Amino acid sequence: MSPPVSIWRWLAPMFAVTVTLIVASLLIIALGKNPLVAFAALVDGALAGPGLGNLQATINRSAMIVGAALAAGLALRSGFLNIGIEGQMVVGGVTAAITAQWLAGVPVLGLPAVLLCAALAGGLWALCAGLMQLRLGIPLLISSLILNYPAIYLASWLVGHPFRDVTSGMAASPRVPAELRLSPVAGTEIYLSAPIVLVLAVVMALFFRRMTLGYAARMAGMSPRFARASGISVDRLGAYVVFASGAIAGLLGALAVLGEHHRYIDGMLVRPLYAWTGLMAVLLGGTGIPGLVAAGGFFAALSTGAMGMERAADVPREISRVLLACIILLVAARGSARLGGDKG
Amino acid sequence: MNNAVTLRGIVKQFDSVTANAGVDLAIDVGEIVALVGENGAGKSTLMNILYGLIEPDAGDILVRGTRVRFTSPLDAIRAGLGMVHQHFMLFPSLSVAENIVFAAEPKKRGLLDRVAAEHAVRQLAGRYGLNVDPAARVADLPVGIRQRVEILKLLYRSADVLIFDEPTAVLTPKERLGFFDVLARLRDQDKAIIFITHKLDEVMAISDRAVVMRDGVVTAQLETATTSPRAIASAMVGHDIDLTSRVPTGHPGQTVLVVEGLSALGHGAHSVRDVSFSMRAGEIVGIAGVAGNGQNTLIEALIGLRPIDTGRIEVSGQDVTGAGVAGRRRAGMAYIPEDRQSVGLADAASVQDNLVMGHHGQRSQGGFLRLRALAAFCRRLVERFAVKITDSRQPASALSGGNQQRLVVARELAKNAPVLIAEQPTRGVDISAVEFIHTELICHRDAGNAVLLVSADLAEILSLADRILVMYEGRIVADIARARANEAEIGLLMAGQRPT
Repeated sequence: MSPPVSIWRWLAPMFAVTVTLIVASLLIIALGKNPLVAFAALVDGALAGPGLGNLQATINRSAMIVGAALAAGLALRSGFLNIGIEGQMVVGGVTAAITAQWLAGVPVLGLPAVLLCAALAGGLWALCAGLMQLRLGIPLLISSLILNYPAIYLASWLVGHPFRDVTSGMAASPRVPAELRLSPVAGTEIYLSAPIVLVLAVVMALFFRRMTLGYAARMAGMSPRFARASGISVDRLGAYVVFASGAIAGLLGALAVLGEHHRYIDGMLVRPLYAWTGLMAVLLGGTGIPGLVAAGGFFAALSTGAMGMERAADVPREISRVLLACIILLVAARGSARLGGDKG
Repeated sequence: MNNAVTLRGIVKQFDSVTANAGVDLAIDVGEIVALVGENGAGKSTLMNILYGLIEPDAGDILVRGTRVRFTSPLDAIRAGLGMVHQHFMLFPSLSVAENIVFAAEPKKRGLLDRVAAEHAVRQLAGRYGLNVDPAARVADLPVGIRQRVEILKLLYRSADVLIFDEPTAVLTPKERLGFFDVLARLRDQDKAIIFITHKLDEVMAISDRAVVMRDGVVTAQLETATTSPRAIASAMVGHDIDLTSRVPTGHPGQTVLVVEGLSALGHGAHSVRDVSFSMRAGEIVGIAGVAGNGQNTLIEALIGLRPIDTGRIEVSGQDVTGAGVAGRRRAGMAYIPEDRQSVGLADAASVQDNLVMGHHGQRSQGGFLRLRALAAFCRRLVERFAVKITDSRQPASALSGGNQQRLVVARELAKNAPVLIAEQPTRGVDISAVEFIHTELICHRDAGNAVLLVSADLAEILSLADRILVMYEGRIVADIARARANEAEIGLLMAGQRPT
């Protein structure tokens, strides 16, 4: 009745992963390859490589995915389903690229100002979706999703026309001035986004466990009617967390611009599917912070590993998509099975 | 002896809890059996086993002397059993006839033959004297009639063992009498009837035999004709209890709640129209009324969960009309909601998280919770209100109904609010929890607070309230001091009639 819950929470994803590995093995055998060789290449591609280069790539990718998962998890745990993380990241990224041009040469305060603008932009973009739910009754699930598209196309137009770097052949903003760039962690290829996201994860765990507002948010997430009857203003709380959720996404976009590409390139935050993979990490790992970080890291390893697998074992990297889809299906099935068979 | 159903040595274990520990029970044709017992005694499990919803770990079920094994309710229905659940299982948008013939429709060219269906229903209704209009839409019918539809549904499938789970919980006193007539008529037509109830007067009024369960076994089988409510109650709790006591009246002091001309829109007919009343410190004011006459709307409007159209609310001299829930609670209101599962508690949250809600602000510093203070507070409440838990981190959903309610009551009483709104505070909880909650409400009153008690159980209001307001169709139609209150008169007022 009560104790197996926490064990089950860990056991179920493990089960999903195991079943998935079996399915993947069968697929690889069907392709005429040895699954063990393929998996070895996958692990090597994710966690090893020359100079641990692959591991560093995995960590960089994890940072973006976990960051997106944290942004979504913050809102979800408070009962608000913000699935517009992608658009909010893009808004933050493009804001960072543009404000960096304007703030070039500003000493000391330049960098914090750029990050702040990006977070603010992402937050406000999310708040638009939030207010559509709170004021107009459009479910956040929909309003946050539909705002993804204007964000992506607006950014695309901005770096394609008014803010295009004419010296480059692609749709991209000019390079960020050197003094506003974030250098990688000393002696490595790991971008600064990784430690920042890690700190963010700790702060968020602390927020939900230790802070007064975090407690209220957690309760509102578990039962909005209970929270409301207890005197918590769930609507105002929702506006806060949706804003914060978007701000995290915006910050993440800025980190990718300032630390990784040093410019906003059209599609740089969309094509790698950071936001959607992050949402899947929330689905797999739940809204608890450790689970979410573990799931995000796992997905990142899966996709960097897939590239290694393609190179070394000649197994198409799309297999990793199959793996991912398989896991998600299994986890989702578990969710609905539990909904159905609740009464014992 | 003419056994309709026999249960022999039924055992059912859920994890560490033994719900049924060898239950023997036989029900005869043409008999009405009342199944009574505290929450967690195993009544519902037993009935769910009989109806095929749960498979027993051990034991036999015999229907008319033949051993049967049910793997689903479909098997039970085929064997001639039928169950009316507490929450009706009807399609509101379909007609009475469509609901009754559902899954066994008379067909014409592959389509529902509506004429034949309505004819069949009319005939069936006539045979058992259950008046319904087969063409009426279920959504438009009052609860009492919906229950008839449920019964007809069973009869249409030729059930002759009928199981009812707390059938009168939702009925008006008048509907209740009608229901008893129906039961008696069904008995006379050789049906076997089992009903679960918490109300001893019902056991006395209609049953032939009272079967008492405690801790997963049948502890007593009493012939109604030769027993007394007190004997049944004692068998239920395992010791003597006093049923008739009325608590001494309080000593009303200053006015702490003033409601003037309050109107609020509820769902459909549940609106509140121009309600005015006041409460004084040291009194319990009961709101009597049949469920759905605006009580819930009134309470939600009072605590701030529902916008009000007109009117004014004042708590301890402070106008809170424009305030939200938080503002009203700050002004001195506390609230035990009717819907424990989703408004009174966060089901999935821990016992501690549920207990500290609303107390956590005072136990915070600089935006951070003082965890040690919260844990100590939680321990204190669990002890003082005798909540049975194994761990303060276990989810509230793991507790029994009675314990969940203790949680809610503990939290709200600990707020020491001058105005406590207690909405159905003892609904669906066992007798010892009822006693405990009643005592606590009286203590709260005697400490100089006002308690607004809403209950569908008239006996509860009559025994606790110093003053009784009767609500009918969104209005307060009477304000009666306890000394002058009598059950028959209030029953009439609740049904919308003026006593003469």
